[in-house]
Amino acid sequence: MFKWFDERLELKKFKEKFLSKTFPTHPTFLIGEIALFSFITLVVTGIFLGLLYEPSTKMVSLFGAMVPAAYASVVRIDLLPMGMLIRRIHHWSAMIMIAAILAHLMRVYFTSAYRNPREINWFVGLGLFGISLFAAFTGYLLPYSNFSVTATSIGYYIAKSVPWIGNWISTLLFAGDFPSNATVPRFFFLHVMFIPFLLVSLIVLHMVILVKQKHTEPAVNRTKKESQNGKRLIGIPIWPEQAIISIAFYFFLLFVIVLIATYIPLNPIESYGPPAAGTPVMRPDWYFLIVYGFLKLIPGDLSFSIFGGKITPETIGGVIFPTFLILVFALIPLLDRAKQPQHYISNPLHRPFMTALGITGGVFLTMLIVSGYIDVLKIAPKTMILYVVLATAAAGAVSYSLLRVYNRNKNGGKNV
Amino acid sequence: MVNEPGKTPDTMDKKGITRRKFILGTILVAIAGALGSLFSLLKVLAPSKKGSGYVSTISPGDVLVYATGSKIGMEIKASSMNAGDAELVYPKGKSSNPANLVQVIKLSEQDFKAPTNVQLTDKGFVAYSAICTHLGCTVSWVKNQNSPDASYTECFCHNSIFNPSRGDLVEGGPAPIPLAQIGVRVNNDDTLSFTSDFTGPIGPQV
Ligand code: HEM
Ligand code: FES
Repeated sequence: MFKWFDERLELKKFKEKFLSKTFPTHPTFLIGEIALFSFITLVVTGIFLGLLYEPSTKMVSLFGAMVPAAYASVVRIDLLPMGMLIRRIHHWSAMIMIAAILAHLMRVYFTSAYRNPREINWFVGLGLFGISLFAAFTGYLLPYSNFSVTATSIGYYIAKSVPWIGNWISTLLFAGDFPSNATVPRFFFLHVMFIPFLLVSLIVLHMVILVKQKHTEPAVNRTKKESQNGKRLIGIPIWPEQAIISIAFYFFLLFVIVLIATYIPLNPIESYGPPAAGTPVMRPDWYFLIVYGFLKLIPGDLSFSIFGGKITPETIGGVIFPTFLILVFALIPLLDRAKQPQHYISNPLHRPFMTALGITGGVFLTMLIVSGYIDVLKIAPKTMILYVVLATAAAGAVSYSLLRVYNRNKNGGKNV
Repeated sequence: MVNEPGKTPDTMDKKGITRRKFILGTILVAIAGALGSLFSLLKVLAPSKKGSGYVSTISPGDVLVYATGSKIGMEIKASSMNAGDAELVYPKGKSSNPANLVQVIKLSEQDFKAPTNVQLTDKGFVAYSAICTHLGCTVSWVKNQNSPDASYTECFCHNSIFNPSRGDLVEGGPAPIPLAQIGVRVNNDDTLSFTSDFTGPIGPQV
């Protein structure tokens, strides 16, 4: 049978050209795969949910109560055998996918794999990160519970707070005002068609660029190659070795996600109920806590206007701050440049400035996540701002000094 | 035409508009034109809706009914509330407009301080919009069991705190302005009704 296909599709050539490509081995190179595999799980469980979900806010009767059809359909999914499990797997995979993207981004940052010639893939990766957040945001609304509506309406007012074009953006995105009957159908389409399409396209682009440019290699390969006078990447071929590792890894990941989803409930919409007058005590999923924490910290009297555009605390916390973060990330490969193409990963310990910068940024963002909990921790916003600044400054100073000392000792007292 | 090696006919003449430049220009103009004409589609995607935001339809005389809980839709009785209690209410028959959501609070009469509009309160009852002026969550009531008059309104979304005895001034958190007050009165039949419109803007101030 292989022969039959081979005659028609030239499979042999494909095998020689593509499947025998080398993939360097390093445990951290699997982080990106976690993101990719979580996405596959999202697609599969998403198709299941999509078959049963009803994107409408028309009021229908559910056990005698009138509730929106979208909410009723998700309650019915939960009542199916394994239905709630599939929903939880979908939601947990989303959380894990975004965590994996961030971890992957950190791996690339600390090993400086974003430098020449791999800047483009750094930008593609940032795009994937942003679009995944958008995927999660649109997914939030779909069950149309009291929680969904509250969370989405916060996003709606953040979109509206964009200076000058806020009304235009929010109308376009939410199909008019929110809450209104038009938003759920629009979000449904964005969530199950448009965003997955964007994600798949960008993932393919990411992979094609990766195959074309080849993966960076662990630094030890450089000495190995020089001693053997070799030129090719050192690693294992995609087929069969890497493929078998990946398949095994996928099933292990699936096992972990199913285990988590089985035991840890997530978004119990039955307990939030359909949209109602009262707002549940709510906290968004972890990846939105950064912005959420920031929103809690800025005082309410910061409004001003420039050129007819209104800047409110929401604009600062929900629009300017995230834009600023994305810009900083995008600037990294443009500022830390390499003239020659780099093909080996660097040891973070040997790059005191960039590594300390990364740690500082990480601590800053973590402190903002903690700020999302000031009500539980009973800390006043002003005190928390102080903590955030202190922790960030301390992280920078300590990590930078330690790394300098480490490098000085290693180089026999010489400064680097 | 004779081809020099390495040169195509259209790059041979470097001066003026070459064929290549012309074609490139045409393509760019065509792309820009096509995209530009599609731009008007965006207008269709964004249905034009005026009057976005919260516009209340409460009129003086509307009776207050419960907005949540098991007594939802039923008239609220003044005698059922003690100092330190609060309820989310709608004007009767107008619950479909979220801008009409109000928090009615019972405090001790001597508690009210400026800038509360005392004219708009009655027998310790005071009412404010229940839509947080930050990003539009519904505010909640944090009851202080030991000293009921120290209870306050909090929005659990980003922890804005409002002081009900001082006109719902913002005492903490990101909300930019107080929740607007609205007049209430206790009727002879123990029901409550509204006596005015909101004193200020309601809903998120974006
Ligand atoms: C092809 C891909 C996808 C399809 C077909 C899909 C489909 C769906 C459907 C039908 C729902 C509503 C049912 C429910 O809420 O349980 C939903 C919810 C959701 N989706 Fe997706 N989805 C996909 C990808 C993603 C991605 C990439 C993310 C995030 C990175 C994501 C995050 C979410 C979240 C957070 C919810 C709310 C889940 C909950 O109710 O607990 N989805 N999705
Ligand atoms: S919506 Fe009320 S504090 Fe943010």
